[in-house]
Amino acid sequence: MKQRLFHKREPGREQIPEQMNPRLPGGFHLPPFGVHQLLAVIIVCIALWAIGVIWLSMQAASQWVGSWQDDIRIHVYLDPQGADKGRETALKQQLAEIDQIASVRRIPPEEAARWMQQWLKDAALSEHELAARLPITFELTLSDQESEFLFDDIRDVAEAAGAQVNEDEVGLAQAHHWIAQADYLAWFASLILALAMALIISNTLRMTLLARADEIHLMRLMGAKEWFVRMPFILEGMVLGAGAGVAAWLLLWPMVWVTGGWFAAMEIDVNNWLLLLPLLFGGALVGALGALVATANVVASEAGS
Amino acid sequence: MSVALPQIHMQQLMLRYPTGKTAISGVTLDIPQGQFVYLVGESGAGKSSLMRMLYGGVRPSSGRLMVQGSDMRRAGDAKVRELRRHTGIIFQDHRLLFARTVFENVALPLRVQGWKTERLVPRVRKVLAYVGLADRLWSYPEALSGGEQQRVAIARAMTANPAMIIADEPTGNLDIDTARRVLDYLTDLNRQGTTIIMATHDLHLLESHPGRVVELHAGRLIADSYSAQPKSDT
Repeated sequence: MKQRLFHKREPGREQIPEQMNPRLPGGFHLPPFGVHQLLAVIIVCIALWAIGVIWLSMQAASQWVGSWQDDIRIHVYLDPQGADKGRETALKQQLAEIDQIASVRRIPPEEAARWMQQWLKDAALSEHELAARLPITFELTLSDQESEFLFDDIRDVAEAAGAQVNEDEVGLAQAHHWIAQADYLAWFASLILALAMALIISNTLRMTLLARADEIHLMRLMGAKEWFVRMPFILEGMVLGAGAGVAAWLLLWPMVWVTGGWFAAMEIDVNNWLLLLPLLFGGALVGALGALVATANVVASEAGS
Repeated sequence: MSVALPQIHMQQLMLRYPTGKTAISGVTLDIPQGQFVYLVGESGAGKSSLMRMLYGGVRPSSGRLMVQGSDMRRAGDAKVRELRRHTGIIFQDHRLLFARTVFENVALPLRVQGWKTERLVPRVRKVLAYVGLADRLWSYPEALSGGEQQRVAIARAMTANPAMIIADEPTGNLDIDTARRVLDYLTDLNRQGTTIIMATHDLHLLESHPGRVVELHAGRLIADSYSAQPKSDT
């Protein structure tokens, strides 16, 4: 019969000497950090900083566009030569029938001439003569400039009446469209950078795994569960990613301060605090993803041992 | 009177590697709990392959292998894990982790089983005291001699109080005196009930430390006897 050598009641708990800090592998113990991990943090930090810059820029662009977009008016010009009163009235009526146009105002020639005089800064032109030469102008106030076919409808009505639409104003009114496109690009860039970061962390951890292959092999021989072996590396990946995220967020502050005056002039107030949690958890997430990829191969190769 | 089942039961056991090499062929053998079994034979005879099968390192190709009640051909990962937790393994090159202290090395099997650090220290100290290395708890293996390193490996193998210890040429790299001392520890563990299965080329040890001798040749069992004792009837 086998005697139980060490199953007697344990004596009082023994203190670990102060200078000793046992680094037991597996489970929720973090592996030691080395130069590889530091390099990975720096590289991932740069990538996360780039993502932070992209989203701060998007924040600023949205605020900037939003600050003037509501005030945009679209002008439609009708050549007075050969334009009778009936055509003018019909054009105004058709424009007003477009759903997304809140109001249509016929700008008096004198008001247009006065504005032109101001714009040309006292060009010494005769206001009366200028008013006679300016086209008939309609000012459209929009209720929903994000409507998909609004500007096509305006163009169709204007062309049918022989009028022209101010395309520069249309371009400005459609800025939200470009912001939306930029938003997609920002997500795409963030995704690509996230994959690159996951690969960097994965490669770093793979080097650590290779350096500790004997230890992992031994643990498997001693009956360690798969997650017991993988957990320290997943934790390490998360800590690397989260650390890089916080560092990237801190490094965004100098940029916010440097551009603060410039943004203030444009009435833009970017909020860097909004990026703290996304960078922290995003970094941890890509770190965990990289660790899962790195450890999947090692554990699979150990399965038959 | 009831007859206890053998701890290890092999019947027409065969192991063929994917390369086509047959490592073990038609081995039939029973090992009861508490035996000290020497596996002898030339290099390539199949000793290491047989021992790897005992802890689920490789699966038998055919035949039957029961270890501590588990059918090793059909045992799932969880069963193999459980078996390994009750099996101590000693390697010829001891496979100590040189970047870790003696404590960390010896504590590894218990750590795998989820022991907390505070509980580990007295247990590891006790095991190291058994092999005469209590004062080397916080040393690194590179500061130890070859014999001390192998004693640490023995301590690691026995720390989880396993029912069976598998030792693959544990004395292969040691001088005669140190090898005898290492074997003294294994023999003592065996006396206390642990089954020891040890592959060795050091046939002189069989005289000083008698036990059952199982001889393999080209993967086949060719002799099963007891050293320093009258030949058994097997």
